[in-house]
Amino acid sequence: MPMRARGNGMLLVLAAVAIAGLLVTTEQALGAEQSYEPPRTADDRPDLNGIWQALGSAHWNIEGHAAQPGPVVALGAIGAIPGGLGVVEGGSIPYQPWAVAQKQENSENWVTADPVVKCYMPGVPRATYMPFPFQIVQTPDHVLITYEFASSSRIIYMSQPDFESPFDTWMGHSRGHWEGDTLVVDVTAQVGDTWFDSAGNFHSNALHVIERYTPISPNALRYEVVIEDPNVFTRAWTMSMPLYRRLDENVQLLEFKCVEFVEELLYGHLRKDPVR
Amino acid sequence: MGDRYSALAVVFGVVSFALGVLVLPAAGQHIQSADATATTVASPVAHTPWGDPDLQGIWDFRTITPLQRPDDLVDKTVFTPEEAAEYEAARVASLHKDQRVEDGLELETDVAYAYNHFWWDYGDTLVEDRRTSLIVDPPDGRIPPLTPAGQLREAQRREARSRPAHGPEDRSVWERCIVGGNAGPPITPSAYNNNVQLLQAPGVVVIFNEMIHDARVVPIDGSAHLPDDIRQWRGDPRGRWEGETLVVESTNFNGKTAFRGSGAGLRLEERFTRVGDDRLLYQFTIDDPTSFTKPWTAVIPMKATEGPIFEYACHEGNYGLVNLLAGARAQDAEVAALATREPQ
Repeated sequence: MPMRARGNGMLLVLAAVAIAGLLVTTEQALGAEQSYEPPRTADDRPDLNGIWQALGSAHWNIEGHAAQPGPVVALGAIGAIPGGLGVVEGGSIPYQPWAVAQKQENSENWVTADPVVKCYMPGVPRATYMPFPFQIVQTPDHVLITYEFASSSRIIYMSQPDFESPFDTWMGHSRGHWEGDTLVVDVTAQVGDTWFDSAGNFHSNALHVIERYTPISPNALRYEVVIEDPNVFTRAWTMSMPLYRRLDENVQLLEFKCVEFVEELLYGHLRKDPVR
Repeated sequence: MGDRYSALAVVFGVVSFALGVLVLPAAGQHIQSADATATTVASPVAHTPWGDPDLQGIWDFRTITPLQRPDDLVDKTVFTPEEAAEYEAARVASLHKDQRVEDGLELETDVAYAYNHFWWDYGDTLVEDRRTSLIVDPPDGRIPPLTPAGQLREAQRREARSRPAHGPEDRSVWERCIVGGNAGPPITPSAYNNNVQLLQAPGVVVIFNEMIHDARVVPIDGSAHLPDDIRQWRGDPRGRWEGETLVVESTNFNGKTAFRGSGAGLRLEERFTRVGDDRLLYQFTIDDPTSFTKPWTAVIPMKATEGPIFEYACHEGNYGLVNLLAGARAQDAEVAALATREPQ
């Protein structure tokens, strides 16, 4: 018994050491993130210029999900949907009861109902984590973000805090400011027609998005998004993910003008000689 | 933005843009201009903190000056001030006309005929140097003749447009919302959304046209063009500075964009020069031996505007193409019905 007690004691000590080690590692990592000094632009802001991309499967489903088959039989394994741990803090989206049913309906009909299937502009934040690169071009008064998918673009107004959008648009109206080394972007006036992902997660045109872009290493940004929409959710909620710099040699945005790729889908029934 | 413009106004306080004088600081790039006073001026141009000429701002390129010199002005390269005023008045009156009356139609319900100058944004004025065409070379102000290969492609396009469309490919890339008409490249004035914003960061210039939310990112880093087998609707741009002028050369066009008959062999050179605090001079040269018998060049002045650039969501609301194709199928059905009613 004494031996056993001592053994248990040793296990406890070992466990404590291991946990302490983990804590130290995590703290060190967080500390490194917080103390990272990013390169700066001529106007002494963190330099976010470059080509960035999210990794993962948030574009399929921002909530956690297991892998599943895709909707196009012919695409087999390459058309299947990979699993993902989810990017929503707390795990699930706080929908109002009616919206749970709407989300379910969207999900069941996503191939026909998902707006990006038709090559529509994805809106914010979905444009950020589409599986395509985007480029940030940073100036003191305007930050342009141009996305490879559907050639979507938006200007973030850095010095016009009172500039309200006169109407709703697909990519919304973006006003930014700096909080320390974080670019904070307030996005309003988005149409209600975009979704968050291909799982049918949605919002209304009352959507209010607050994005935070923080450099955490030379080649990564922390991207945090607060979502508010009193028509659809019971409270504000948050998603978070890293964005990675594309390090490929000679990387540049290429055209992905997908309109051409969806003409058969959208107009095929109006052809004189249908293709199929 | 107001602050920025006032700052620039101070910097450029000494520079004036004289009517009738095309100020072009680019070394050795004399443009055949409105009159004999074309001048190359080394003006004090604002620079970015990293030393590039600062071209940034929102630029308005609308004008009623036609790209090509009209047939009845064959020997006239520049209007006198009186002729210019007369031309502007006549052109604006013509844009204002009620097309239904003019065409002898009674189409109260056809909204296409309801459009007049109220709806358009061509502007009311010629370019300030009073040229009769935006094209400055060749000297006749006209697009050079197409090569036989260029003629063949143009004939095929014309044939497709002259009948009910068989499918979307028979219509222009602009109607299909693939590229935005006046955004080009090259940029040319049209009926609306004649606005472009330029943004700069070290090693990059963005040409952001309002039509159709089209941002061209131009690397200025000495890198090579894309490999020859990667072709794009807007080509592949690379920039360089020649004195105070940004020169953007684009290749790798896919040939389907067909700017005035151009093809995949197009080598497009665009030149942007800031010639005053509120003036930008834009020049483009089309060099495409597979389509045109010789290169041609146009010069388009741009004016600073407050903006902003708005989102032009073209494809997302493209009911026009749906209706156009549905109409074409209705026409087919009508013809078929007539054929069965009156057998030969």
